[in-house]
Amino acid sequence: MQILQRDDQIKPKSSLAAGEASAEPTLRQLGRSLALPFFKRSLVCAFMAGFSWVSSAQTFATELERDANVVINNETLIATSQEKVVKLYGAGGARGLESYQSGIIVGNSGHILTSWSTVLDVAKVRVVTFDGRRLDATMVGMDPQNELALLKLDDAGLVGFDLTKAAQASTGQRVFAISNLFGIATGNESCSAQKGVIMASTPLTTRRGKTKSLYQGRVYVLDAMTNNPGASGGALIDLQGRLVGILGKEIRDEQAGIWLNYALPMDVVKSTVDRILSGNTSVQASGLKSVAQPHRIDDLGITLIPDVLSKTPPFIDQVREGSIAQRSGMQTNDLILLLNDQRADSRKSLEKMLATINRADSFYVLVQRGQELIRIHVRP
Amino acid sequence: MLSMLVFGNGKTLEQVCLAQDENANVAIAPKPSEEVLAAQQQRIEAMQRASRSTVAVYGTDGQGGGSGVCISSDGYVLTNFHVSSPFGHRMRCGLNDGKMYDAVVAGSDPTGDLAVLKMVGRTDFPVAAIGDSDKVRIGQWCFAAGNPFVLATNLQPTITYGLISGVRRYQYPSGTILEYSDCIQTDAAINPGNSGGPLFNIRGELIGINGRCSFEKRGRVNVGVGYAISIKQAMNFFWQLRSGRVVDHATLGFTVATENSGKVVVSNILESSDAYRRGIRYGDEILRLGDRDVATTNQLKNILGIFPDQWRIPIRYRNADGVMETYVRLQNLHLASELEEIIKGESPQKQPPRKPPGGKDPIPLDKEKPEAPKQVNSAKKDAVDDLFVERRGFSNFYFNRLELDRILGLQAAQGSWTSSSESWKVTGEIPGENLSVEMLMSDSNCTFRLGDKTESLHPFQGWPKWIKQRSSIGALMGMRIWQQWNRIGPRLMGEAIYLGRNPVVGHNTLLDVTRITVSDFDVLVYTDTDTGLIEVIEVFSDKQTDPVELFFEKYETVDGRASPKRIRLAYGLETQFVIVINQLQKSEVTAWPGL
Repeated sequence: MQILQRDDQIKPKSSLAAGEASAEPTLRQLGRSLALPFFKRSLVCAFMAGFSWVSSAQTFATELERDANVVINNETLIATSQEKVVKLYGAGGARGLESYQSGIIVGNSGHILTSWSTVLDVAKVRVVTFDGRRLDATMVGMDPQNELALLKLDDAGLVGFDLTKAAQASTGQRVFAISNLFGIATGNESCSAQKGVIMASTPLTTRRGKTKSLYQGRVYVLDAMTNNPGASGGALIDLQGRLVGILGKEIRDEQAGIWLNYALPMDVVKSTVDRILSGNTSVQASGLKSVAQPHRIDDLGITLIPDVLSKTPPFIDQVREGSIAQRSGMQTNDLILLLNDQRADSRKSLEKMLATINRADSFYVLVQRGQELIRIHVRP
Repeated sequence: MLSMLVFGNGKTLEQVCLAQDENANVAIAPKPSEEVLAAQQQRIEAMQRASRSTVAVYGTDGQGGGSGVCISSDGYVLTNFHVSSPFGHRMRCGLNDGKMYDAVVAGSDPTGDLAVLKMVGRTDFPVAAIGDSDKVRIGQWCFAAGNPFVLATNLQPTITYGLISGVRRYQYPSGTILEYSDCIQTDAAINPGNSGGPLFNIRGELIGINGRCSFEKRGRVNVGVGYAISIKQAMNFFWQLRSGRVVDHATLGFTVATENSGKVVVSNILESSDAYRRGIRYGDEILRLGDRDVATTNQLKNILGIFPDQWRIPIRYRNADGVMETYVRLQNLHLASELEEIIKGESPQKQPPRKPPGGKDPIPLDKEKPEAPKQVNSAKKDAVDDLFVERRGFSNFYFNRLELDRILGLQAAQGSWTSSSESWKVTGEIPGENLSVEMLMSDSNCTFRLGDKTESLHPFQGWPKWIKQRSSIGALMGMRIWQQWNRIGPRLMGEAIYLGRNPVVGHNTLLDVTRITVSDFDVLVYTDTDTGLIEVIEVFSDKQTDPVELFFEKYETVDGRASPKRIRLAYGLETQFVIVINQLQKSEVTAWPGL
């Protein structure tokens, strides 16, 4: 705890060093890490040796800048990176749906990036950090196109990957994957590390129809066996310890029965983080007020599945003949994901959001229909 | 170019190998530097060295198959219990010299999934260098050698290279009593057939025995998660397994729970346990066990799982009075009958398997490949069959005899007492207290005089009542056992079983342990592994009572024989007194004055 407080005090120095990076404001916000674990270590040493920790941290920072491209010892590299990977626990546990997955701490403000999955269908996602702390995270937002979600913890002094330093990877490059596959690690136990090589960098669209994946963009195909329960949301790092990707959800070629080991590259990850942090997709319609004559689910002509859970997904059970919904193109079995780019994570939140839109106004919904995402313009 | 840069910074061999791999991606690869080639040569040599000690295990008909590793030049092989058990007591082992050797099973550990085999036919079998599994770290390179998918038809092991993915993993029992604690996780491909084979570090030192994988949906092939039993655990059990017994794992006599505060506290304790007698109570916080700190329940299970039963290990705990340090004698985890059932191939399934929270049960490899036990005995008998003796509670009683013979052979070199008379008189004193001691020991009667008090002891029964009183006559019991062990030998004293090697408080090395069941009590005799001299004798009345502990702290050579000079009596961990022996006389007198 003491060490963490000291980390806070040296933050100005570290952000100075990281300040050169030219990034979007939102990214910069996330990007103030500059390998803080090294500071932590140097601080511990300094503390034990009785030196002034401030001067020691300064020296170390300069050394670090000078040797920016130094190849770090594998054990140190992985140990450092493991501190930025968390175990996540949420909904599931039945019918082959796992209730756990992995997540990556990004930046130093308690943000956690992970796969958008049914595990997150809970009010608070349980986060277990490398040192065994059990914390609760709330969802900042999700990005259905990239199947990623951003969570946030109250500042627990966690140090994450610096997104401004994230790297592009090329085919043939050696990487390490760090995740809690099979849920092997619990409490303060370390997540699992696997070795791998990037076999290809290719869009998933070429496999469209063969794989059940909402995400259709570019992926790194890996030779590491990452396609296992619980691995998605884990980190893919290069030999300098930089984040190069996030492990994707389990997908399988239906015809060949082949499971694909892959990760989403950092440009995709960054675009998601940007979109979520700039408020384009977020959990709640914050700041919007209810209107006198709003849209109502019944009036639109849809029946949702019964609201039996704390967070029942807004799943369309029926569309009334001749209704607004039918005219706009909504269908039975559509799952409503976004309403005017705001996340509708439950029936309740959908109702709340509809209450802010005047009955005379049109709006957009994003629905998931089978393995497709469809944007629908709903006109009254 | 990268490789030059890396080397310029004085990096490790692993990174050099990596850098070299990356060169392969360059269109026109630069000629590797000398250092890179040297590193590659080191790796090749480590793998060649490791291959020599890797064993392919088959049934006597050449069917089935698993792996093993030879760790002694006289042919002792470590493998998995689930590899050896389907073959019965006999199998064939292939080495990469292209030859098959006959082998018999020595001991089995069904809980820890280990077995020891003995190959015959050579005295110079190639041996794996034993590494230190406590120093294994995530991110180190490693490689597995073995016989995956029974590919080693030419007896050349398959090498698979990988990363240490996790250390100190605890894997819950899956359906049976089998439990993997403190194991090493690797992404080196471990497949059916690799079971029982070695996991080496990059220097070619043995760090684990492969045996388990997490499978899910892709059938029984590797999915990037394999587990190896740490070589530390295997070596802790090695001598217990050489005893030919079906060995057991241990409990502390109490269970723990992790409190919300993160403390690991005693949640239940048996009042009959050694831990209770050492002062541990319900609610005490466990801080350290063995040589490692305890912060979670899994950590405690990990540490406990690497020790055989009857071991006495240090423990640190906290109660209302502060932090306490003591030793706990571990108790057996299973009943003998439970282990027997496992050996018969019928897992008891009394309790539903515990599920790891949110995890998948890892499955022992090869489990779905049952092989009918081979009835080799009925076919024909040969020399190898002489190395097998069937007996309840043993995998192979032949090896128990062998080990006890070894100990007695060591002891005989210290001078023989066998021809000496049955009546001994030991005189000595308790230094500092000005008390003289006299012990008379014969087959008709034994007496113990301390100062001016004299007590009489039956020569071989009725001892438990004295032990329960923590009587000072315990010193006489120990001396009497010492006399009989040396004069007539353990096999004439009662049922003598070699147990293996155990630690003793105050000794840095493990000692050979033999259990003798005399009339109504058990005796444990701890002997030095080099000299065969008795270092400690423990006499047990029952499980609820601390045994007599007599330490033989100093020997002197008298008439060409090693003779005890200083002995120390203790109960629990409390020393009662030390006796300096002035004289040990043997006489033909059978009746003593006053009796």
